Amino acid sequence: MMQRLIHILWPPFLVAGVADILFTTLFDPLEILYRGEPLIEHRIAAYTIGFFVFWLLGIASSMLTCYFQRGADEINRCPLPPRNRPAGCPKREDEDACC
Amino acid sequence: MTDDKQATPASADAPIEQQLYAIRQKIQPRAVHGVFANWRIALVLLTQAVYYGLPWLQWDNRQAVLFDLAARKFYIFGLVFWPQDFVYLTGLLILSALALFLFTAVAGRLWCGYVCPQTVYTELFMWVEEWLEGDHLARKKLDKSPWNANKLRRRGLKHLAWIVLALWTGFTFVGYFTPIQTLGAEAASLSLGPWETFWILFYGFATWGNAGFMREQVCKYMCPYARFQSVMFDSDTLTVTYDSSIGEPRGPRSKKTDYKAAGLGTCIDCNVCVQVCPTGIDIRNGLQYECIGCAACIDGCDQIMDKMGYPRGLIRYTTENVVKGKYPDAGIIKHVLRPRTLIYTVLLALIAGAFVYSLATRVPLRVDVVRDRAALSKETDEGMIENVYRLQLINMDGQPHRYTISAQGIDDLEVAAARETTAAPFQTIDIPVSLIADPEELKGRSIEVTFTIQATDDPRIRDEVATKFFNR
Repeated sequence: MMQRLIHILWPPFLVAGVADILFTTLFDPLEILYRGEPLIEHRIAAYTIGFFVFWLLGIASSMLTCYFQRGADEINRCPLPPRNRPAGCPKREDEDACC
Repeated sequence: MTDDKQATPASADAPIEQQLYAIRQKIQPRAVHGVFANWRIALVLLTQAVYYGLPWLQWDNRQAVLFDLAARKFYIFGLVFWPQDFVYLTGLLILSALALFLFTAVAGRLWCGYVCPQTVYTELFMWVEEWLEGDHLARKKLDKSPWNANKLRRRGLKHLAWIVLALWTGFTFVGYFTPIQTLGAEAASLSLGPWETFWILFYGFATWGNAGFMREQVCKYMCPYARFQSVMFDSDTLTVTYDSSIGEPRGPRSKKTDYKAAGLGTCIDCNVCVQVCPTGIDIRNGLQYECIGCAACIDGCDQIMDKMGYPRGLIRYTTENVVKGKYPDAGIIKHVLRPRTLIYTVLLALIAGAFVYSLATRVPLRVDVVRDRAALSKETDEGMIENVYRLQLINMDGQPHRYTISAQGIDDLEVAAARETTAAPFQTIDIPVSLIADPEELKGRSIEVTFTIQATDDPRIRDEVATKFFNR
């Protein structure tokens, strides 16, 4: 579980850092207007919020990647009764054990 | 999902989980002394003296190194960089990457073993751990012992010390991005801004978590460099290597035994190399991606070899080709020069040269032009065509300057407003400028024009920007 969490959280963290640097270098956040008003008043706030927005987007993407990685065996009903399932099978306990 | 639901005892979870994801065994490495441990101590002290000390250094009445995010200016000693200077940051990153490639090709993961912040902070945190909880055996005992007053006190003290260290690290980190003296005064009077507070806590938390708990897992599962460093390796790269040709067959023996006569190698199978390894691997199984090249096993093994009266170097920095017997250890130096390292060196030298040249000849003036979008062009009372622009001028120099503004591209083009302007040191100014041209001289719908901004006191300080002049 820990490793899956790392897989979901960590790559987006790296990418968000790079994306935030690139984005805020190209655009001064104070010049981003929403209905004629600056969207965010402080630059440090904008960099911070920008970083977390990028991170959240990346997390969503990584979660979907992990979700779609599940093979057919993990999605379909298992033909074996639980106690006959091989050791290590995520379905050996019950449906909660998967992922 | 299944018809046959059977309750399984909770204890059955553990072995199954272990097979799915290798559950991390907490590693309590044994402390080690020796040449490479001393190198690491020296480099931990050096890098941290720089890291914690640099933000406090002053230069021209300002912080010497300050990446002032709020003002979008980076100060590095005498130099000041704007977002427009992004190319220098890119250059610096390319230089760092090439240097890393070169070092890796020559001597493996020197970066990981001695200066990577993950290694350095883990080392610092382990010093605290050793000081407050004792050596690896005492720590293992403490891990197993039930929670009592002693454990609570030791653990509490350790975490207190860790948290102080982590918070100081976080504070220093934020001090690179916002003036640290102000930050210090604010921290002392408990009036830190919300964003500064957040980042100090966030970075402090990351330090505490990574150096206190994650440790080698960061290297094994999170570090991209650990995954691709092996592509820089070849058979002439120095790596921490167990020389099986002298070590095997391994086995315990008494010190008095003539091991050669007994048909044994010099490895006494004492497992010290495994006990000292911060990533918990057995180097005798050969080069592994988990090995961060810290050389703790070399120090550990050399101590044992000394005790046994055997020659040192059963585990040592050596190359694959030496172990294969292609050349002796003395030949390593000669093999440092090879196409791979030469290419890295030449690339590094070229880019470093271009970087320094570009910095040295940098003109401390930058002008951008923005067209007034509301009105492309208008006709004046005299029947002339006028275009209005906004010039954004950055004086990147430490001196104030006076500039003249001229424009070329159309015959008899006249700069109407603001033919001259001044800017204070490191000041960015916005100036509206209007150009007036005779419609008879205008050929076509839009004509390319160039603004020239020239400092009055220094002919080298000039910048040109191109833009368009629109006819009616």
